[in-house]
Amino acid sequence: MRRSLLLAAALLAGAASAETVVKLNGFAGADVAIVNDLLNKIVNPALAKEGIKAVFEPFQGDFNAALTNALSSGTAGDLMYIDIFVAPGFIKTGKLLPLNGKVNTRPFLPTLVKAFTDSGKVYAVAKDFNSLAITYNKDLFDEADVPYPNENDTWSTFADKLRKVKKALGNDYYGICLPADFARFGAFAFATGWKTFDTKGNSNLLDPRFKEAFNFYTGLVKDKTAILPSDLSQGWSGGCFGGGKVAAAIEGAWISGFLRDNAPNLKYGTAPLPRNDKTKKRGNFIYTVGWAVNKESKNQAAALKVLDLLTSEKTQQFILTEGLAIPSRTSLQSNAYFNKTTQEAVNAKVVFQGASDGYVYGYSFKQYGGDWMTPVNAALQAVMSGKSTTDEALKKAQADLNSVMKR
Amino acid sequence: MLNTRVKASPKSPEKMRVRRDTLTAYAFLAPFLLTLLVFFFYGFVRAVYFSFTDYDLFNPPKFVGLKSYINIFQDDKFRIALTNTLLFSFVTTTLQTAGALLLAVVLNQRIRGLMFFRSAYYMPSITSSVVITLVFLWLFQKKGIANYLTTQFTQYTPHIVLFVVVLVVAQIIQVIFERLREAKNYVPEHREATSFDALARIRRVTYVHWSDPLLLWISAAIGGIAVLVASFMGWIQPRDVATFDFDWVYNTDKLFGLLPIPLLFIILMNTFTTIPTLMLFFLAGLQGIPTSLYEAAELDGATPGQKFWYVTVPQLQPVTFYAVTISLIGTLQMFDQVKVIGDAAPLDSIITLSYYIYNYSFRGGSSLAGMASAAAMILAVLTLLVVLVQRQFFKDEVNR
Repeated sequence: MRRSLLLAAALLAGAASAETVVKLNGFAGADVAIVNDLLNKIVNPALAKEGIKAVFEPFQGDFNAALTNALSSGTAGDLMYIDIFVAPGFIKTGKLLPLNGKVNTRPFLPTLVKAFTDSGKVYAVAKDFNSLAITYNKDLFDEADVPYPNENDTWSTFADKLRKVKKALGNDYYGICLPADFARFGAFAFATGWKTFDTKGNSNLLDPRFKEAFNFYTGLVKDKTAILPSDLSQGWSGGCFGGGKVAAAIEGAWISGFLRDNAPNLKYGTAPLPRNDKTKKRGNFIYTVGWAVNKESKNQAAALKVLDLLTSEKTQQFILTEGLAIPSRTSLQSNAYFNKTTQEAVNAKVVFQGASDGYVYGYSFKQYGGDWMTPVNAALQAVMSGKSTTDEALKKAQADLNSVMKR
Repeated sequence: MLNTRVKASPKSPEKMRVRRDTLTAYAFLAPFLLTLLVFFFYGFVRAVYFSFTDYDLFNPPKFVGLKSYINIFQDDKFRIALTNTLLFSFVTTTLQTAGALLLAVVLNQRIRGLMFFRSAYYMPSITSSVVITLVFLWLFQKKGIANYLTTQFTQYTPHIVLFVVVLVVAQIIQVIFERLREAKNYVPEHREATSFDALARIRRVTYVHWSDPLLLWISAAIGGIAVLVASFMGWIQPRDVATFDFDWVYNTDKLFGLLPIPLLFIILMNTFTTIPTLMLFFLAGLQGIPTSLYEAAELDGATPGQKFWYVTVPQLQPVTFYAVTISLIGTLQMFDQVKVIGDAAPLDSIITLSYYIYNYSFRGGSSLAGMASAAAMILAVLTLLVVLVQRQFFKDEVNR
């Protein structure tokens, strides 16, 4: 009896030592359940024969600070999330493995591959993505007897519709909820043909095209067609929209999950962002998080296999049909899910198309990260709250930005 | 105390005992000393070294001399952070110390349910500052309770003013009436005296205090009835005022052109959460003041205010010194509340030196650890300086 027990223990120990454990670092919160679900249902069963087991180890709190710490001290996992917002900084650390020749990036949306490319080398594969779209409250538009926003809208026709809704519904209602944030306003600036960085790597906030977008965006608040989320005691425009007092919001596909939980009876539709009157183009942001491989990982081969499965068609199909995010593979563009007529599916389709329609740029600001946006957001806030004129605010923002970029 | 007169002998049992005691002391101190060595001393030495390098957490540091310090003083954000930190520290320390002292004096009285009040007032101190910050953000949002109550207050000002006026008048009448009555009763041989004579004696026989609780209740009831009648008759009506929707958090204004409003918001929060801790020190200090001092003061005819100012405050000087010291150090290093508020407030209005250091250290891969270390050194020197300066105000205590 004792001998057989010892034998069993030895076998178990042998089996355990033969297993390669691939550690994954990602966000805490809702991602824990999703990634663990993916690992249990797709990744680990597929790799069990090869003796590879993927384990998700989320970082609590400030993810980027924790990842900086882990990467610099050599305790980071084999695979990790890299947000497009901070990707340039992490790529420059030299701690991420270039994936050229190791991962086939062709099946993925080119804008997403570009988002993680530096000097011709790809450092992460987008697990999914989001762009911006107009989400509108059908009941409010119906009540005001105003046509819904649609794909033919320009800035002026769109603003006109919002003004009409506001006028018809009265003081307790607003056309749109606009935050003083470049994360939304930037899409309008791009539509004019303006770019965050010019060829010399400088940012010009005094460019007439930037000013045109700035005046359009802040003008909606000044004439009370739009309202700031904080004025409705909300932290984001999705919160305003869910409250039912605002006819439209500019958000990504994440809003459908929020509305499903918080405003299940709200009937909404989704339209692409309006085109600029002069350029006839739309602007948009790409928000994405990619899987990157730790250059110092001892399990690189196994990590690459896990990465392959985490970004596989099967995984992305799962994520899409669960309504979690938009897949990063081009082949899923023709997925049957996008042909459904449910409001969530329509929202997903418009957001998916937003990634390749007009002037689309990644939500990324070189090595400056969030510091780049701070002066722009302050300028938006100053003008939207009536404390400054556009010229004064932009002049100050440009001066502040110059000192940020000089550091 | 150790006996140092023991004859020195290598095998002396006394010496062995001393050695054993010393070793035991070190054994008990070891965990603390080790923590101090590793996380403070080693960390401090490393930070000093990094402050003279261009360290970015990933590549080997290169010596750059005083470049980081020069860069820091040329950085607008640093100057703003330094000003905010000093403002925050001095205002908060003053409010915390004064508030804690007053609260401790109140909670040192013999009142019914004392234990409950002591526990209740201590609660904010043991609640997570993150949770308190979130609750405050909720209370002070544009459509929050703070603004709602302010709107209500301005709307019902006529009612409030009427209530206060009637209460005060009723109280004055009642107290004078009571005093007259008592004066009359107090001097039986003058029973037939006119009330004018009795008035002359009031100064000597004032038994009823102006804030007598029972009379106050009656006055409050009269005030309440007056408000009800006046509003029922339509003599007073709520004012038609605009909704007070002051933005406490995303606000670029400065109080007196100096103190940013969002920083004032953090000062309120920090004072609320730290007062209980300091209150506990003051409560302990109050227990140690001999009652004979108060008795002597009473015999000398001291008023409650004089007893507080001439007995309590000087006797609490050691505790005040300690409270001010830890409050100064704590406020100079305040970080969590700024971090939790994050983008909800303009960075320039809330950035402190600790947040500046954190922000420059962990910037998503593009760390400026060298500059952050230099800022940390400046914060350390500043803390030392501020504590040294405040020691000057407590010279007696320091030399005791």
